[in-house]
Amino acid sequence: MTQAETMPGELPDDAQPILSVRDLQAHFRTDRFGVKRDVKAVDGVSFAVRRGEIYGLAGESSSGKTTLVRTIAGAVKPPLDVVGGRVDFAFLPGYGGLRRAPAAEVARIRWRHLSYIMQGSMNVLNPVRRLRSAFVDFAYPHIGESRKQFEQDVVAHLARLKLDPSVLAAYPHELSGGMRQRATIALATICRPDVILADEPTTALDVVVQKEVLAMISGIRREIGSSVVLVSHDLGVHAQVTDRLGIMYAGRLIEEAATVEIFRNPLHPYTRHLISSLPRIGDDVPRKGLEGAPPNLADPPPGCRFHPRCPLAMEICRHKVPATLETAPGHRIACFAVNRSEAA
Amino acid sequence: MSGYFAYVVRRLAQFVLVVFIGINIAYVITHATPIDPVEQSISVVTSFGNTAPDAIEKMRTSLRELYGLGGSPVEQYLAFWKRILRADFGPSMSAFPTPVSTLIGRALPWTAGLLAVSTIVAWGLGSLLGGLAGYYQESRGLKLIGVIAIGVHPIPYYILALVLLIVFGFLWPVLPITGGAAMNLPQAPTFDFIVSVMQHAVLPALSLILIGVGSWFLGMRALVSHVVTEDYVVYAELAGVRPWRVLSSYVMRNALPPQLTGLAMSLGGIFNGAVITEKVFGYPGVGSLLVDAVYAGDYGLVLGVTTVSILGVSTGVLVIDLLYPLLDPRVKVT
Repeated sequence: MTQAETMPGELPDDAQPILSVRDLQAHFRTDRFGVKRDVKAVDGVSFAVRRGEIYGLAGESSSGKTTLVRTIAGAVKPPLDVVGGRVDFAFLPGYGGLRRAPAAEVARIRWRHLSYIMQGSMNVLNPVRRLRSAFVDFAYPHIGESRKQFEQDVVAHLARLKLDPSVLAAYPHELSGGMRQRATIALATICRPDVILADEPTTALDVVVQKEVLAMISGIRREIGSSVVLVSHDLGVHAQVTDRLGIMYAGRLIEEAATVEIFRNPLHPYTRHLISSLPRIGDDVPRKGLEGAPPNLADPPPGCRFHPRCPLAMEICRHKVPATLETAPGHRIACFAVNRSEAA
Repeated sequence: MSGYFAYVVRRLAQFVLVVFIGINIAYVITHATPIDPVEQSISVVTSFGNTAPDAIEKMRTSLRELYGLGGSPVEQYLAFWKRILRADFGPSMSAFPTPVSTLIGRALPWTAGLLAVSTIVAWGLGSLLGGLAGYYQESRGLKLIGVIAIGVHPIPYYILALVLLIVFGFLWPVLPITGGAAMNLPQAPTFDFIVSVMQHAVLPALSLILIGVGSWFLGMRALVSHVVTEDYVVYAELAGVRPWRVLSSYVMRNALPPQLTGLAMSLGGIFNGAVITEKVFGYPGVGSLLVDAVYAGDYGLVLGVTTVSILGVSTGVLVIDLLYPLLDPRVKVT
């Protein structure tokens, strides 16, 4: 086992990642009546996404998944504040994040290179305008072609997602939830972006539509070669479509490996709990819940944030933050109990 | 579109019903007053000297006929509706024998013109500035406008009107202080007359706009600051949709329907006249007419003005109800 601390982007089988996040810290900062609160929703997260891969982010509610993608997407508005770290895109080199880049540059890459499927994307369409105008507003300025050609492209793209061209003349409320979701995915992929950030794209959909939507995301990736960052709390979703998977806990990335590897050989105690909690056909042993609750991020426990709930907690876990180390090729983990030599 | 047609028909029927009930209420209330217009008129005539009793009796009969007070209450009521449908409210008592409809017809253009213009200007200005202030919440200029709007808004209207009169009528006498137009000009569409009408309208209109802008501003700012947090606005901004497009088609467009309802209600209300404005600026409108009619116990005139304003308000609401399904596609016409 190699135990050198690795930075994302130095992975041997990847020349240049399309997206790399380094030590990103994003906090919700409020100051009400002199009481300062600093919720460390994303606290030192690093990972890289390769061209054409689907990178999954998993974790329970309030683990910082959504804040992480929001920060990457540049949707940073008070009280959310980026405290430190960099976000680098291959198509926007040198700035270290959308919020540091000039507005014109950001406007240029948005949707053309980086698109975002927001959480709760059933409500992201303007209720008083037809879908056609959403496509025109979002994508037309990025595609240098005639209006007629654009219309044809949109229809062809909709057909790819099994949507009838008639949806263009519909208002959002006239479509079902699944159709709206597919329309949103169509909207986010029409410009063939390099990176698609998808935040819970299948939540609130029934499993049949969910399966369709996931197949659609894989299909889009295959056809147009985009990289996808897929956020979901549902490990079943990750098992189906993601290539690599990062597990988040309390604002930190605690384990990252190929999805198959995570399911076969989870190393972090939290990940092991997650995996063992999954139901398996033919196995009727009652599942054990994890004691305790995720920590309050305004006042997180010192050291490893998982230690109050961890069955393997040691003395060092209570005061020292474990580094993220590569224990096997492509398998990174932040835990003293696993990386024994670090604890010693 | 057949659904919409059925909706229009149903809504029109409702309109007729509302107007019918409203006029009935006005009829009952005016007829329940203790003032008897016939005796009132007779006492006016007889106060100038002796009149033969049989002449008085004849006068009483013909006046009862004129005021529609002949016969049983049912006959009176039916006669009332017959005349209403011909827009005939009988002669005015205080301006006997001028018909009520002539008096209203003379006052209405003044009021409607002044109030329509000032209401629309106040609404447009208030909504636009309020929308911008709700969207660009950090802008200092718009914050300042907000402070001014909140500051001016609670000033009692008559104080503001009087201050304007004193400033522009006495301290710096550049504008006429009373009337609808210069008295010495014939009421014809000549250049001089139109200029005079405009000059006379400046102060009343300004007072109405200054007071009116504030509430439209605050309403629109509140609506917009709610809309900007909606997912579809956040998403459009994130997608790099051009800012003016986000502001117009995403933010304003979704905030506007409630404001338009308010505008329609206000426009319906312009036929009520603006009593205080017309009194302070001596404007020859429906509001002054109504107040004078009430003082004089001229209930034919009161009924006439009330009927016109019932029609005005109901029409305003009708128009906005008919437009609403076109403004917001989510409003279903079933």
